[in-house]
Amino acid sequence: MRNNITVEKILLEFDPVAQNLLLALKKISKNFGYICEKDSQKIAEYFEFPITKIYETASFYDLVETKKPANLEIKVCSGGDCNLGQSTNVIREIENHFRIRVGDKFNPKVRLKKISCLGRCGDGPIVIVNRKVYERVTASSIYKIFAEWI
Amino acid sequence: MKDIKILTNYWGKINPLKIEDYLGVGGYSALKKFIEKMNQQKALGEIKSSSLCGRGGAGFPTGQKWEVVAKNSIKEKYFICNFDESEPGTYKDRMIVENNPHLLLEGIIIAALTIGAKKAYVYINGNYETQKDILENAILEAQKNKFLGEKILGSKYFLEIEIFSGAGAYICGEETALINSIEGNRGEPKIRPPYPTEKGLFGKPTVINNAETVANIPFIIQNGGKKYAAIGSKNSPGTKIFILGGAVKNKGVIEAPTGITIREAIETLGRGLPRGKDFWFAQVGGASGRLATEKELDEKLDYGKNNNIPLGSGTILVVDKSINIYDLLLSWTGFFRRESCGKCIPCREGTFRLNEIIERLADGEISQRDKEAMQDILWTLESTTFCPLGKFAAVATRDAVDKLEILKD
Ligand SMILES: Cc1cc2nc3c(=O)[nH]c(=O)nc-3n(C[C@H](O)[C@H](O)[C@H](O)COP(=O)(O)O)c2cc1C
Ligand code: SF4
Ligand code: FES
Repeated sequence: MRNNITVEKILLEFDPVAQNLLLALKKISKNFGYICEKDSQKIAEYFEFPITKIYETASFYDLVETKKPANLEIKVCSGGDCNLGQSTNVIREIENHFRIRVGDKFNPKVRLKKISCLGRCGDGPIVIVNRKVYERVTASSIYKIFAEWI
Repeated sequence: MKDIKILTNYWGKINPLKIEDYLGVGGYSALKKFIEKMNQQKALGEIKSSSLCGRGGAGFPTGQKWEVVAKNSIKEKYFICNFDESEPGTYKDRMIVENNPHLLLEGIIIAALTIGAKKAYVYINGNYETQKDILENAILEAQKNKFLGEKILGSKYFLEIEIFSGAGAYICGEETALINSIEGNRGEPKIRPPYPTEKGLFGKPTVINNAETVANIPFIIQNGGKKYAAIGSKNSPGTKIFILGGAVKNKGVIEAPTGITIREAIETLGRGLPRGKDFWFAQVGGASGRLATEKELDEKLDYGKNNNIPLGSGTILVVDKSINIYDLLLSWTGFFRRESCGKCIPCREGTFRLNEIIERLADGEISQRDKEAMQDILWTLESTTFCPLGKFAAVATRDAVDKLEILKD
């Protein structure tokens, strides 16, 4: 399904030097959705770092996930521009529809998160669903977006 | 003079994926001039006499920064182009790369050669994926044309450029955090001094410049520092890319000389507010920027040391009276709560508590105790944090308290 990409194969693309750690972590996280404990062990062995060092770096960055993502990961930009473009209404609509609260981690199926500006401000409000970016989203246009995923 | 364009003049007219287009409008002639007619000292002299100062927010004199590293006789040095661009509302560097990537590359090459670096990095915002492809393509084209690699244009110069892609952390735009991030660590700031110009990347002397700063270099080398110094404000000459957002008719990025007023930016560049919208305030410089009310609209947009409203990244968010201020307060304080790196307690706790109090304020549940705590927290952020992010976190909320009187019953 994933063209037989394995953590080992990804690691071999990088020389095991500190400078490549973040790049490798990002790539593995992108491919598998997150970095699980088993994989961290493999990364630690490959780079010859203690596993704590792997987590220390991995847990710092937004684009490296260390927790299993939900089936539907929704992220809404909360930067000033998107905000003036009514992103708060979008968040409220999603909260009501799925009966979740932004920031909560209880529901393994749907999670809603506020994120920082992505530099696409001119085209906001910006919403990301499972890594796909949507522009000019409104409280009513979210349903068309979710239909792609459910 | 008002119409002079240094950075944006070929936007939309040349294909960013074709070096021939850039060469066709005189591209890389500054690099040729540098190689054929100048030396490092002469180039440094031009940058100094141009009075170019950093566009990354602080406005530090570029020539001064370069000189420290250029004078160091150590062999291993680095140049880093800061293309992390994650200040909310800011996307000028992204537009430079999308429209004319070779302008940035030419600037990086001249900068690196002038300070004596053989390796340059571009630290790119991890969300900028298409822009990374554009830059990678441009680097390959520049290599083919002998502007990069060994024996640049047949000279003794050598340069390699590597793109390092970040991973979504605002603090990594801060130069010492950026260095930590390339070195494979958490992107936390380091204590300064030593400054990166003494001990930077891998402990070696390093110049870090914002992408927009770098994009000015070819013009200065081509036309001379004096000519550049005559444009815009005396204290920080040149042009600036302004990013207009919110309640203006003409949103987007626009280049204009430094020293125009906030009013001119809104009225002339932004063509004013849409019909039916009443001006309330403008936030200048992103989420960490101050709020300018009607009284302050004639303040100048430049990097003067005593400016009441610092220019920062050049973002101008125009807010009209129909906006719910609590939404914006939640946006600002939520941003800093998320992006605080956690290294020092005043900022880690302060941004967290400030955001909580704002949540209660928005829900109409704020107590007298909260109001007093808020003043304490703002003071702590302003006065005691390890790096400037903590100070940034207090700016807009402080102005909202003082100028918009959000705590008044
Ligand atoms: C919290 C924080 C975030 C920053 N983010 C950026 C950024 O995204 N891009 C940038 O060029 N400079 C940023 N800076 C400024 C850099 O530390 C540095 O001063 C700048 O890159 C120097 O380049 P310049 O002299 O050309 O402006 C940031 C600073 C701080 C404190
Ligand atoms: S002020 Fe904030 S961002 Fe800066 S070091 Fe302290 S916790 Fe980190
Ligand atoms: S404010 Fe949402 S992308 Fe910038």
